[in-house]
Amino acid sequence: MNRRGFLKLATGGAVGATLLQAEACGMPLRQQKVAKVPAPRLEIPTTCDMCVNKCSLIAIVQGGVVKKLNPNPENPKSRGMLCARGNAGIQQLYDPARIKHPMMRTGERGEGKWKVVSWDEALDFTAQKLSAVKEKYGPQGTLWSSSESFQEQFFRNLGQAFGSPNSVRHPTLCLASVNLAYSLTFGTVPSFDVQNARYIIMSGANRLESFITPDTMDLVASTTDRKARLVYLDPRFTKTAAKADEWYPIRPGTDLAFILAMLNVIIGENRYDKEFVSTYCSGFEQLAEHVKQYSPDWAAEETQISSKHILRVAREFSDAAPRAMYYAGRRSSWYRDDFSMRRGQAILNAIIGNWDRQGGMVPNAKVELGELMFLPWDDPTAPRVDELDRNFPLAAKGDGVYLRLRENVIAGQPYPVKGWMVYKQDPVSGIPDQDKTLQMLRQMDFVGVIDIQMSDTAWFADVILPESTYLERLDPVEMLAGIRPVVVYRQPVVKPLYDTKPLLEIVQGVAKRLNLSQYFDYTMEQWIAEQVKALPMDLPLEYLKKHGVYSSAQFPKYGTTLTPDHRFVTKSGKIELLSRRLQEAGYDPLPIYHPPTQVPEGQFRLVLGRHAFFTHASTTNYPWLNSFSTENTLWIHPKPADSLGIKDSERIEVASGSGSIRIKARVTPKIRPDCVFMQHGFGKHSPWLRLANSGGSDAQLLETAWDKVSGGAAMHETFVKVRKV
Amino acid sequence: MKGFSRMRKDIGVLTVGSLVLVGLLALVPLTASPAGQKGNETKGKFYFKQNCKSCHVKDAQGGEITPLSKTQAQWQAYFAKGKHMKGTETLTKYLTPEQLNDALTFLYNHAVDSPQPETCGK
Repeated sequence: MNRRGFLKLATGGAVGATLLQAEACGMPLRQQKVAKVPAPRLEIPTTCDMCVNKCSLIAIVQGGVVKKLNPNPENPKSRGMLCARGNAGIQQLYDPARIKHPMMRTGERGEGKWKVVSWDEALDFTAQKLSAVKEKYGPQGTLWSSSESFQEQFFRNLGQAFGSPNSVRHPTLCLASVNLAYSLTFGTVPSFDVQNARYIIMSGANRLESFITPDTMDLVASTTDRKARLVYLDPRFTKTAAKADEWYPIRPGTDLAFILAMLNVIIGENRYDKEFVSTYCSGFEQLAEHVKQYSPDWAAEETQISSKHILRVAREFSDAAPRAMYYAGRRSSWYRDDFSMRRGQAILNAIIGNWDRQGGMVPNAKVELGELMFLPWDDPTAPRVDELDRNFPLAAKGDGVYLRLRENVIAGQPYPVKGWMVYKQDPVSGIPDQDKTLQMLRQMDFVGVIDIQMSDTAWFADVILPESTYLERLDPVEMLAGIRPVVVYRQPVVKPLYDTKPLLEIVQGVAKRLNLSQYFDYTMEQWIAEQVKALPMDLPLEYLKKHGVYSSAQFPKYGTTLTPDHRFVTKSGKIELLSRRLQEAGYDPLPIYHPPTQVPEGQFRLVLGRHAFFTHASTTNYPWLNSFSTENTLWIHPKPADSLGIKDSERIEVASGSGSIRIKARVTPKIRPDCVFMQHGFGKHSPWLRLANSGGSDAQLLETAWDKVSGGAAMHETFVKVRKV
Repeated sequence: MKGFSRMRKDIGVLTVGSLVLVGLLALVPLTASPAGQKGNETKGKFYFKQNCKSCHVKDAQGGEITPLSKTQAQWQAYFAKGKHMKGTETLTKYLTPEQLNDALTFLYNHAVDSPQPETCGK
């Protein structure tokens, strides 16, 4: 659907009126004025919320105005770094397009007609609507969607206390396949000690361009200052490719063939770590037998990477062990068998013995936090609507599987779901196959959204409950597990600018009206007080208020699990090269290669990526960030572009089985001729997000496909036709 | 904290009541059957944390215990036996049979060899 269609979905727009209403809702035309008399300059430590990395920062505040956000060097994870997004956090606070008051729609859903209401009115309405759905369909008739935040647990708890089993989180749109593959192999998802690695292989994890954190800089330093070797596989010549020692434009969907051939070489030539494998791993004999079929010559045919390179990389990789790693990345799922590819990576890492050693994979250390005990509720009696037990028995039950869930909700199977509460998520622009998301949304009796901005999903809500931004609120303390674990503290640096609330208060407001107050009978201060009790210091809260972060480890600790009696959290207690849980669940216990679907004649495989300026689809509307990249384009190789008569910067139409968009072409030799690429996060429809309206939305093109084991949305299974317009 | 206080009171009542039930334990054994998984997991997590974690945390008297401390079969066997403190007291000193079944459900479902292994965290 194009933007015009989106606006017409309900009744035909009235955008002008909407924008006028938006102004009437209090959207400021300029930032708050600074007081004339210089006020004291405060430096308040807190924690960033512009992406998932949770870096520590120091807000410079003067006269109640945030003047600047600086990095907080006390955090060993984020160190003295605050990225472009972190700096732009100031624009989230002062964003003219923020939602400033509770609002209820007055026109048709999606028409964009709103009225400002009081919190009482908005919360009463929310509770009434949820109760009405419960009355008619049972509590399982409600869906609770949320993304990660320090307060997300309160939202999820509300859904559960209400009696719904249907909580769906972001992992199956993100790294569910990675998490599951490493969990089933090692019993945990480790960190990668890139700072000390000597040999790094990456499959499409475009780390140097898509996610700029201190780990990224470690990676850069590893490859430059410390001369680690970086081998990079990607159908596109990215900035990571530019920095790599070797770049291979691998045929999309064949990464597992490359990995299996490496296993074939390393095992066949006895280059694996025999002592490590015999002490800590199970299933090696079956693995060795299994990978005999996957020779470098065979893999060369599949991957279009020469067998001599595969052979050499395998040898170099094992020579560099244990300071060698096949880096997992922070990517979403790509293909229907994405999980198998991730399992292959995990197994390859295991047999060279890079586990819990410097320069390898390291199980995450933790800092103990206390916990406030609150009254437990009855478990929901209905099964999940996505039928997880049947469809994805190994997927994380608390996270759900988004695309399967959407299919079932649309079909009304196994039961109707008619109420949808959404927190900090924009499924309309963030999930493949937008028309289906809109279809799901249309059939809801009630849609309530908690957010800070008018996302495409909020645009379709019946009620919007505005959350205070991270610079305005106190959050639970958060422990970030890692090679050097930290506890971070988020405290308000200014008072809320508008009529907004922190999530806990919103949840308590709804809970009270649903007679569920007994489950949320605490304050944020009480919650935090219980958490910090476990920290090994006097006056921990005072410490966190002053420093914003606590770290117990001065130096990384390696080898804590490398004792003969250590039991890994797997079925056998060993690192499972052959997975017993997979076997029991009826899946292949070892990764088996299935060739990718051939690109149909006259079409291209659509590949996606993101840029470090933007957090998925949520920060594109902030001018500082948008100025780096004002719209996305479709990368297309000069050869097919020439045959289609497409010139650089011309507008083209891109069409898939799910929809079509118009977007500018970027004709470049930096991509394989059988692929086209576009960046995620543009082509939004909400009139409140004007800067993000440019370019095209990948959600409109991507077809519904998921990884068979984890249920993660398979983002690279869509083929598109491209034509000049 | 009204709700929390009320719950503590309820637990207290149940705990006193449970003392009466000690003698009934043999009549209502917590078997190692799949029925052990049918309790209320959310409540089981709460009961486990509230009653067990005061002693069973790292560096505490009882040593750290989480669902990952045992396999599913070991949890079932432990609850079937129903003994605590090296067999010197029964589990029903701390929880009612129903609460124990909830706790077993939580521990079993997240045991070290379960499909969804986890600690007691979030």
